[in-house]
Amino acid sequence: MTTETRGRWERPMWMKAWAAVIVALFAVGAYLGLVWSPPDVNQGNLIRIMYAHVSIAWIGFVAVGFTALFAALFLWRSKRMDDVRAVASAEMALLFSSLTIIGGMTYSRPTLNTFWTWDAKLTLTALMVALLVGYFIVRSLIDDPVRRGRVSAVVAIVVAASLPFNYLAAEWFRTLHPSRSISLDGSGVTMAPEMLMTLLFNTFVAGLVYAWFMVDRVRLGRLEAQLEAERQAHEAVPSTEGGVVRV
Amino acid sequence: MPTDPHADPAPPPVTTPAIALRGVQRRYGRHLVLRGLDLEVAPGRVVALHGSNGAGKTTLLRLLATRLRPSAGEALVYGHDVIREGHLARGRLATIAVFGGSYGTLTARENLHLATALRGAPTDALDEALGRVGLERVADHLVRTFSSGMRKRLGLARLLLARADLWLLDEPHAALDADGQALVDTLVHEARAAGTTVLMATHETERSFDLADAVLRIDDGLLSRVDAVPT
Amino acid sequence: MNDLYAVWLVARKDLLQESRSKAVTVATLFFSAVTLVVIAFAIGQDTRLLREAAMGALWVALAFASVISAAQSYQADLEDGAFDALLTTPVPRPAVYLGKLLANWAFMVVLGLVMLPVTIVLYGAEAGPHWPWLIPTIALGTLGFALIAVLYAGLTANLRARESLLPVLMFPVVVPILLAAVRASGALVGIGDLELATGWLLLLAGFDLVYVVLCTAIYHFVVEE
Repeated sequence: MTTETRGRWERPMWMKAWAAVIVALFAVGAYLGLVWSPPDVNQGNLIRIMYAHVSIAWIGFVAVGFTALFAALFLWRSKRMDDVRAVASAEMALLFSSLTIIGGMTYSRPTLNTFWTWDAKLTLTALMVALLVGYFIVRSLIDDPVRRGRVSAVVAIVVAASLPFNYLAAEWFRTLHPSRSISLDGSGVTMAPEMLMTLLFNTFVAGLVYAWFMVDRVRLGRLEAQLEAERQAHEAVPSTEGGVVRV
Repeated sequence: MPTDPHADPAPPPVTTPAIALRGVQRRYGRHLVLRGLDLEVAPGRVVALHGSNGAGKTTLLRLLATRLRPSAGEALVYGHDVIREGHLARGRLATIAVFGGSYGTLTARENLHLATALRGAPTDALDEALGRVGLERVADHLVRTFSSGMRKRLGLARLLLARADLWLLDEPHAALDADGQALVDTLVHEARAAGTTVLMATHETERSFDLADAVLRIDDGLLSRVDAVPT
Repeated sequence: MNDLYAVWLVARKDLLQESRSKAVTVATLFFSAVTLVVIAFAIGQDTRLLREAAMGALWVALAFASVISAAQSYQADLEDGAFDALLTTPVPRPAVYLGKLLANWAFMVVLGLVMLPVTIVLYGAEAGPHWPWLIPTIALGTLGFALIAVLYAGLTANLRARESLLPVLMFPVVVPILLAAVRASGALVGIGDLELATGWLLLLAGFDLVYVVLCTAIYHFVVEE
């Protein structure tokens, strides 16, 4: 590997700076959540899990939305990078929704004395994990990169469209949520201003983490595409070099 | 633009070519099957396509039939891009696949009616077409009871009924008896007389030199023109 | 060409093939019946439990049946490259999807209407005064299943492990259909609560509407290669 190619693989300075800012902001968010914000009237210090749990859950849903958006873009204009972005966002969505489930379980064990509740949002997140796993299974079964991108884009769009219905059905089916202090649609905010502020700050940090990984993954995807293009360059014959065959 | 020294008197440039390929590539995973094809076929020509197994003949035919997307470049059928205007391209072409492409649990007549009606072509000549390919006695039998040669004949009947301007034939002589092969030749001659363009992938080397106006060969992912039976 | 006629041609082809081979009829009929019996055994002798589980069992059986039905309809297509030949005609892709959907849906509605009385008898449920509303419930619920099953069966038809893949992909998407259909039909049997059922029926109708548009629009990405 030449120094030039090694240089290409290295993360640019501004991304390292961004990562440092995220770590610092994460520390601030942890301070806000663990020290600065008051304990909850009903749940005491357990409410502090919520700051990490809910912020991650929100960004997870945003990530699925972006997956479908990039998938639709890929179907529309067939740019390889759109597929890379869709996958990157789906990976983050899977990671965040898995963390949401773990967070939900740690939250419901002390509050509801059970690891699993059929709470609408937790059920929805579990379904989202199942839907995303399906997306990745489909991808793993198709070798041709273009066809893989197009078929999985169809899956991503179907998956994203199902989330509102899944939410509605799960919400109506059984809502066991202990505190309806803040709901997914943002209505009925009844928490203390410090608590809301802490939650929004942590959501902002989670959003920065998502964005950082997206940018990094897309950067890697672009490098992969470049390498692939260089590898393929000698195989293809430039148009009209051999002359147009006319019959 | 470089010209092919073997080209016949060039077709007038004002007419839209029946087939136009510009830098067409097709990749399966990492394997580049078509490496960059540039081709123009004038309307009404009968062109044979040679090449060893896996050379990319079927890939090219399926690509022109709008069933495969080119990985790069563009392919046009009577001026219609096979991707952006696939439905217009399909309106001009008809195909016959290696295995005939008929439904086993439908009768021969039902298969013909389905394929013809889906094109919007008139369905009043089904019996005539069945007679032409020698299937009139089994018109109402299920296709799953047919031999591979009979299925191929049914594919030929569908081709006749399609009234298309471009025939894409994948090994039309394969699986047919001597009569059937002669029938294919007759149909191709008639098509030429009617101004239909024909592109057929075939391993029938000598027969295709008699039948076709031009013979192309796909080798190593590239197209070239062949001028005589290789000795 | 008249696109509605094309939809009808494709639907009629699928139904004609099924009337000849009976592959789907036999498989789904026995499968649904066995599912109902097995779930009844698993629940046991408690008549109240059985009655409450009746509609859940019915819709689980129908969900699996829709997987079998959709997968089988592509199986017949793939033999001898017949579907490929069909797709080289200028028939619009949405018409192909809607045709296959229509055939699958028609079949599933009939299956649902056959299985409904079987479930009611087997689980000791009572039809009640609102029973006619079970017919639109079955129509809307099976449409939801068929919408996703026909799209995804086309998508998995050329993949490895398609038999297990299709339910894995489809079921998380149709969870709202399953929940809403179970709740709606649960609210309609016995004494019945029409108002409660209407809310669920609206959810079913909303799902069906959104996915009819969506699936019809993206189907051509599924069948192209």
